[in-house]
Amino acid sequence: MRFVIPGEVIAETPKRDIENSYVENGKTYSAVVGFYYEEKGKVQQLEGPFIPKKGDMVVGVVIEARHNNYLVDINSPYKGILFERGRGPSLITGQVILARVSFVDEVKNVELEDAKVLKGGEIVEIKSAKVPRVLGKSASMLLMLKEMTGCEIVVGANGRVWIVGENSPVATYAILKIEREAHIPGLTDRIKQFLEKELKR
Amino acid sequence: MGKKGEVKLLVDGKRTDGRKLDEIRPLKMVIGVLDNADGSAYVEWGNNKAYAGVFGPRECFPKFLANPYKAILRVHYNMSAFSTKHERMRPGPGRRSMELSEVITNVFENVIQLEKFPNTAIDVHVELVQADGGTRCTAINAVSLALADAGIPMKDLVQAVSIGKIDGQLALDLNGDEDNYGEADMPIALANRNGDILLLQMDGLLTKEEINTAMGMAGEACKKIYEAQREALIKRYEV
Repeated sequence: MRFVIPGEVIAETPKRDIENSYVENGKTYSAVVGFYYEEKGKVQQLEGPFIPKKGDMVVGVVIEARHNNYLVDINSPYKGILFERGRGPSLITGQVILARVSFVDEVKNVELEDAKVLKGGEIVEIKSAKVPRVLGKSASMLLMLKEMTGCEIVVGANGRVWIVGENSPVATYAILKIEREAHIPGLTDRIKQFLEKELKR
Repeated sequence: MGKKGEVKLLVDGKRTDGRKLDEIRPLKMVIGVLDNADGSAYVEWGNNKAYAGVFGPRECFPKFLANPYKAILRVHYNMSAFSTKHERMRPGPGRRSMELSEVITNVFENVIQLEKFPNTAIDVHVELVQADGGTRCTAINAVSLALADAGIPMKDLVQAVSIGKIDGQLALDLNGDEDNYGEADMPIALANRNGDILLLQMDGLLTKEEINTAMGMAGEACKKIYEAQREALIKRYEV
């Protein structure tokens, strides 16, 4: 693992399958600020917008009910369209949903499916690049957060986290702390200590 | 521009601010200074102070400007009313600021991977709160960092520096007085990885040999600026 910035050489040979990189004149360069993992073959971005991919689970807000579909804000430069009006749940503007991205084309028209309504609770917005840290290795961080706070937590790939439960303020603080300190090692222990301290109060 | 030879700019090989001919002014770079922007940077270069903020990629308005093949880049360069030494600078879009916005846009259109974000717009705002010669170079260095901070994929970081001629000799990184009373001023922006020239403007006259020497000097200076930029980016994520 090493820190890279745009234009930095990450390989002297052309490697086209590395995420967030590009090939020029036989060399591979990083395109973003991040950490390069040689064994995983990717540059982990530290910042950046959410660009939806097929299969992503996103937390969205309905912004318009059209005659046969819904327009959904998915915290991205692109809006999602849910073609389930009349089949799935009946939605109104402002409602929060969890949905799966079913299709994205080359000009980023985004289609959603399998919408579920998330009732009550609150939404915390974090950077989508930090979502893997909120989840942790095989969702270990999320499980710890759920167990210790007793809250129901849904993490969307788009950086929206939906929380409901008695201890939701503590969970919110913990998630914002994870976002802030995502790149510093020893995160799980720090969050565990933080939760223990806050929940004792 | 003042009259040539009106002010003595070089005394005993030293410039008005005590620098040598091939020395740049002290640089300070801070990243992530604006909370409301997606990416931001503050660059202090001698007496120049520039804030850059990046918003986007976001939905493009007005819609007819959107390009289905790539994102559009809009740079807005502005000097504050209180930024200059002498008279009040008229803020807002004027002939000069519109030109500089355009040249900075052209610089970054060559390095940002705009094709990754079709139908969107990336808005960049640069505000010069204090100016003392070489503001476009300061602005380019600041925008480069702000874009990297926003996580926008770029082929390279860009560095810019101005080279001029004072009292018949080439000098690196002109300050306000040298810019006004010197014989020539040539801002240059380079891409670090392959030395691509992204900006080259010239005010005044230089010979062919002088331009060749100037390009070499710019290359050396840009390496120093690149190191400063890299250090600033590392500091942002320092443990």
